[in-house]
Amino acid sequence: MTELHTGILLPESFLNSQFFVVLAALVALNTSIYAALAIAKILPKIFRPSIFRPGKYRRETRSIYPDSSD
Amino acid sequence: MFSRAVGFAVIAIAVAGFAVLWWTITSTNSTLTTPPAAIVVFAGLPIMYSWQAPPLFAVIASVIIAFIVVAIFVGLEIRDINTSRRSLKGDSKPLAPRVIMDATRGVFYGPVTVTVLVPAHNEEDVLGATLDALHEQTRQPDRVIVIADNCTDATVSIARARGLEVRETIDNRLKKAGALNQALSSLLHQAGPNDTFMIVDADTRLKPQFIETAVRHFTDDRGLSAIGGLFFGEPGRGLLGQLQRNEYTRYARDIRRRRGRVFVLTGTASVFRAPALKVLASQRGSLIPGIRGDVYDTAALTEDNEITIALKSLGALMTSPSQCQVETELMPTWRDLWRQRLRWQRGALENINAYGLTSATVRYWSQQVGIAYSVFALWTFFLLIFLQVVSTDTWIWYPFWLSVGAIFIIERVTSVWRGGWAARLLAATLVIELVYDTFLDIVFLKGVIDIALKRNARWGNEARPAGAKHVAQKSHHLDQGVES
Repeated sequence: MTELHTGILLPESFLNSQFFVVLAALVALNTSIYAALAIAKILPKIFRPSIFRPGKYRRETRSIYPDSSD
Repeated sequence: MFSRAVGFAVIAIAVAGFAVLWWTITSTNSTLTTPPAAIVVFAGLPIMYSWQAPPLFAVIASVIIAFIVVAIFVGLEIRDINTSRRSLKGDSKPLAPRVIMDATRGVFYGPVTVTVLVPAHNEEDVLGATLDALHEQTRQPDRVIVIADNCTDATVSIARARGLEVRETIDNRLKKAGALNQALSSLLHQAGPNDTFMIVDADTRLKPQFIETAVRHFTDDRGLSAIGGLFFGEPGRGLLGQLQRNEYTRYARDIRRRRGRVFVLTGTASVFRAPALKVLASQRGSLIPGIRGDVYDTAALTEDNEITIALKSLGALMTSPSQCQVETELMPTWRDLWRQRLRWQRGALENINAYGLTSATVRYWSQQVGIAYSVFALWTFFLLIFLQVVSTDTWIWYPFWLSVGAIFIIERVTSVWRGGWAARLLAATLVIELVYDTFLDIVFLKGVIDIALKRNARWGNEARPAGAKHVAQKSHHLDQGVES
């Protein structure tokens, strides 16, 4: 036996319409994208460990003191 | 005409992204798989649920595309910063660190000095706390000047009572930017390579180590042009205050994760090396928009955002150290917040429009497109929920989407973790912050429409002088070739 469902404003068959089905897929994919971005924001950001970074050697001092060893 | 349509251009790019997604779904038939709803009985109540989920390949593909788009924009920004870092082109990047270092090599120009400028327009209620915070700095500023701009209250006497220098503006109709330009035009003449100017809003309290940290950075790096503060919200102001504090806490976290790479040299408190400001003023009307001789562009609604883009365009090195923190005033009502954000939003769009699409501005354009896209994403989500609710008489739970919701809650909570329990609790509700985001979305759209209709922007309670805008805009167009 089939039950006839009616929504508050629209018939339940609207949920199977092409428009609604595509809209639902669009929102689903967007939500997935934002969820993936959210995961990226939850995770601690990975920076290059210092041993893989170029050394702190500088050709010349950047200090305002010309004789500085920095 | 393009300048008026800048917001629509941004929206059009976002819509194009949406259209591509829509087309992909219809052409590949990537609609959702919805198994029939099942029923479980929980605590005596029947609960309907469905394992509805989008096709896995479509999810993976769209996530990969999204990450590629983000990576491209981040990559372009880093490439621009690295180009400036290495540049020796004094004509196109006169503030590139290597150009500055060439000019100051082997000479000691004296220790770093800090002159604090506090622009104030009727700030008697808040100025005292701002000046107290300056007095409590672990490294005292060398000079503090309160720039009283058309004050009719006790601002001047409060400053004088503390023995501070006060400069009153003369016939200034160009707001904060005009007031600062007047003061800087005389101060910069006497300033040397290691003299710095710190601009502090009259409603902003510095954390005690701000100046000490800034001086250390300027001393260690003579190629450094500017330091921006990280702003946090003052306590109080109820729910609306907490919503703004959460937003600022997330912004500060983003900057930490960017390792201090500046997004905006905040108008609340930022420090500039004098030569950078001199070069900036001399390049207005040629390499960057504005009127030659002006440090701040008086046509910009958000002069701090504008000066950041200006310095970036000139190749300047800048940073936001995590110790340089300030506490700033929050908007007490939704109406005030609306006005403040409308100004920020319009300012941001007008600024990128004035500069056009360049390697220095691409990150700012992408931010605006991102906002426009998120407006569509959020509002189509609301539309879907609405249609679903009005088309059915049964409530169905979707475990897949509930888990996605849990991810969002975790992200919202962890990103405000440093804000304390009130911040975390508010974030965990998700819905309240969604309402706040929707409010900001509406502000964005209003900003786009206002620019298109050339409505007069408002600064606080007063309308912005139309003449100033006109003159400066004219010079933008002449110099940048932007169509009017």
